[in-house]
Amino acid sequence: MKKENNPKNIKFTILSEKQNVELIGLSINKLCSYSGLNEKACYDIELCTVEAINNCIEHAYRNQSDRKIEVNLNLYTNKVAIEVIDLGFFHENFKPVANDFDTKNIEYVPEGGMGLQLIFQIMDVIDYKRVNQSNILTMEKIFP
Amino acid sequence: MQIKIEKVKDLTIVNIMEKRLDAKQAISFREKILELVESGNKLIVLDFKEIDFIDSSGLGAIVSVLKMVGREGKLVLSGIKETVMSTFSRTKMDKVFIISKNIEEAIDKF
Repeated sequence: MKKENNPKNIKFTILSEKQNVELIGLSINKLCSYSGLNEKACYDIELCTVEAINNCIEHAYRNQSDRKIEVNLNLYTNKVAIEVIDLGFFHENFKPVANDFDTKNIEYVPEGGMGLQLIFQIMDVIDYKRVNQSNILTMEKIFP
Repeated sequence: MQIKIEKVKDLTIVNIMEKRLDAKQAISFREKILELVESGNKLIVLDFKEIDFIDSSGLGAIVSVLKMVGREGKLVLSGIKETVMSTFSRTKMDKVFIISKNIEEAIDKF
């Protein structure tokens, strides 16, 4: 990630247990709020972070609860950048599924696959790559 | 997952007594509502007024509840906060569910 404007930075590390996810979500929401973002923007950034970590737990680590997940929050003057890093399986098809279901036909309403949809709708920059043994998801939200 | 159940005639009002409906809570939430549905409660209001945050797993669990209730029952969601509502809108779930502002309005939907 390009380091610009000398961002404020904090790094979180958790074990891959679902009960730990809210700790990072709440912290990121509060830090974004402290940086002057409005409630809706803070919520959206928390949501994307939570979805990204849930993906690490469910897909990269296949629900093993003793693996490490690192989250780096970089607060710039013009954007927020978040890196979510795991050491599990690489997500080969990292893109959202089509959201074209019939809303009136209950049987076809999806119960999953909405996490990436939310990330791709909310974030302005999304980059997912494997570097050595790490999977690194970078998400950026640029301030209007 | 803490819920509080209230009966109004043949309606079952489920107050979700949590701040978050997320991946940690989704399975337990689904199981608790499944118990209710299996014991014959198919006219359900889910009251979200305590919920500050929902993720895609939480949404998936509510879709699952809707499918359990089926066409012979009815599910109405109530008291969803604006930020939480945005997650429904982004995933088109605001078009899937019957949504009301508060419990009184929810009861009127039956």
